[in-house]
Amino acid sequence: MKSRVLIKLATQSIQKNKLRAALTMLGIIIGVAAVLVMVGVGGGARSRIRQQINSLGTNMIVITPGATQQGGVSQGAQAFPNLSLADVEKIRAEAQNVTAVSPVIVSRTSVIGGAGNWRTTINGVAAEYQHIRDWPTSSGDFFGEEDVQAGRRVAVIGSTVAQNLFPGEDPVGAEIQIRSAVFTIAGVLAPKGQSASGNDSDDVVLMPHTTASQTLSGRSFLPQILASAASEADVPAAQEEIRTLLRESHGADDFTVRNQSDLATAAESSTRVMTLLLAAIASISLLVGGIGIMNIMLVSVTERTREIGIRMAIGARGSDVLTQFLVESVVMGVLGGLIGLAVGFAGAKLLGHFTGWETVISPLMMLIAVGFSAAVGVFFGYYPARKAAALNPIQALRYE
Amino acid sequence: MSVIRTEQLVKTYESGTTSVHALRGVDLTVAKGEFVAIMGTSGSGKSTLMNLLGCLDTPTSGAYAIDGVSVEGLDRNQLADLRNQKIGFVFQGFNLLPRTTALDNVELPMLYDRRGARKRDTRALAAAALDRVGLGDRVDHQPSELSGGQQQRVAIARALVTDPALILADEPTGNLDTHTSTEVMALFQELNEQGITILVVTHEPDVAAYAKRIVEVRDGRIRRDQPVRNRRSAAYDLEHFEEREVA
Repeated sequence: MKSRVLIKLATQSIQKNKLRAALTMLGIIIGVAAVLVMVGVGGGARSRIRQQINSLGTNMIVITPGATQQGGVSQGAQAFPNLSLADVEKIRAEAQNVTAVSPVIVSRTSVIGGAGNWRTTINGVAAEYQHIRDWPTSSGDFFGEEDVQAGRRVAVIGSTVAQNLFPGEDPVGAEIQIRSAVFTIAGVLAPKGQSASGNDSDDVVLMPHTTASQTLSGRSFLPQILASAASEADVPAAQEEIRTLLRESHGADDFTVRNQSDLATAAESSTRVMTLLLAAIASISLLVGGIGIMNIMLVSVTERTREIGIRMAIGARGSDVLTQFLVESVVMGVLGGLIGLAVGFAGAKLLGHFTGWETVISPLMMLIAVGFSAAVGVFFGYYPARKAAALNPIQALRYE
Repeated sequence: MSVIRTEQLVKTYESGTTSVHALRGVDLTVAKGEFVAIMGTSGSGKSTLMNLLGCLDTPTSGAYAIDGVSVEGLDRNQLADLRNQKIGFVFQGFNLLPRTTALDNVELPMLYDRRGARKRDTRALAAAALDRVGLGDRVDHQPSELSGGQQQRVAIARALVTDPALILADEPTGNLDTHTSTEVMALFQELNEQGITILVVTHEPDVAAYAKRIVEVRDGRIRRDQPVRNRRSAAYDLEHFEEREVA
């Protein structure tokens, strides 16, 4: 029989039992929709994490002292006085894939000014730090290269510090006191929000590293050096270059060079596991939907025994009957899958609208969902269809 | 060439330890253009004979050839093709597909034809067959919208449409009143006049009287096989139907 005729026969028989077909397809619809919503939410979470990490600067390379394992190691690493300003100058002068490099001197102390005092993190950095972190100011300007050279007492404050010390006013030009030194505020950084590790990125005061080492620490070694490559693709080459340079000058591997994508990969893989878990739970409803199809097809075969007998008497082969019932269950599966696709899509959008979660459903995912529901139709339709095809025409004709 | 030729046809059903001998050796030959009535009471074996002649079942022993094709050794698929190509069935319960138009019902056997139905205009052929049984104006009606006599005529159109060697009718008037039965038999007589071979299985002598030859089956054997002497014309009976009822 022509495939066109087969599909016509199948849709006819579905149309004759609209309510039953709709209820049968409901299982598939809910299953496909549930899987899509879960995968959509998971995909959204992944892309949000990716964005957060990108906000740190994907081209950023972090150099810390001590050959440590990956992960949070800053406390231990600071104990090793391996990195120095000389290393920064060497990287700036010789590494060709590195576009910007900045030392980071970290200190935690109280800042006095405006409304009162505020305990925060003080970072002594170079002017290039702004470029490396890709961090614009919301008012005023970042300090420049000459401020660093001259060791001027200027500072750029994060938005959290600005809100707490100067609520409701523009702090640019105002003065703050750190330890015994007075600093002029050159600018306020635009809010960056939470960092990937959950800290408030905006609770910070930045000042030239030269000033910081004079007024705060007096130490000559650096807890961290930040650098950035021209593009994400250049990051591995830049990392390798930095390693080679530092190995030359240190004569040992007493440092660690990491990039942001390592962090991104780790965070993404954990959400991927979560998404898979959710999708696996949701696909159980798809399985239940498949069993629903099988159930209805078995009922349908029994109910239409006489019809099968008639068809066989007038010359239908077993394979004709098998194909007819199989096409019927596949059409139900695909139809249910398509409706489920629409419902899942709308559901994901709705969920995103009410919760503010971003949801991402890829075209590939849609294709898989519909393909899978067709496969469910074949798998669960085969047994009833075979049962129909194996009927004896004489007995089928006599069936009441 | 005979349309039907059987030699010592035997069918035995095994049920547990006992065997039921439904047919005990039937020799039957039907030539082209014949109109045969097979009669017998229930349990006589006439249903078994009809299943074998209709290629719905295979004999335990003996030979059967329809239109020159022997059924010996044929598998399920080959029997299905044989039914499709050689036989047109008409049943007591009409056996039309419910919620399916008359035209779709009549078209159905051509859709299962593996010889080249693709090239033919099956819709036009189905419409022509319905026209032939006088239902040209009922093509879009579903069985539930048709009377019993009309449904049986749709079934006859479905049997005719493949141009079969044999029309096999199993109690075709069993569910119909006398007047409608006579109408259906008139249609069979008309088709037989046009050269179509018809075999009717019935237990009603009134119906058998419209055939040209009566074969009586009893206890799995043919007891009587003779031509009908005072053959009735269904068309004539219809014309004088009311006089008959009064008489």
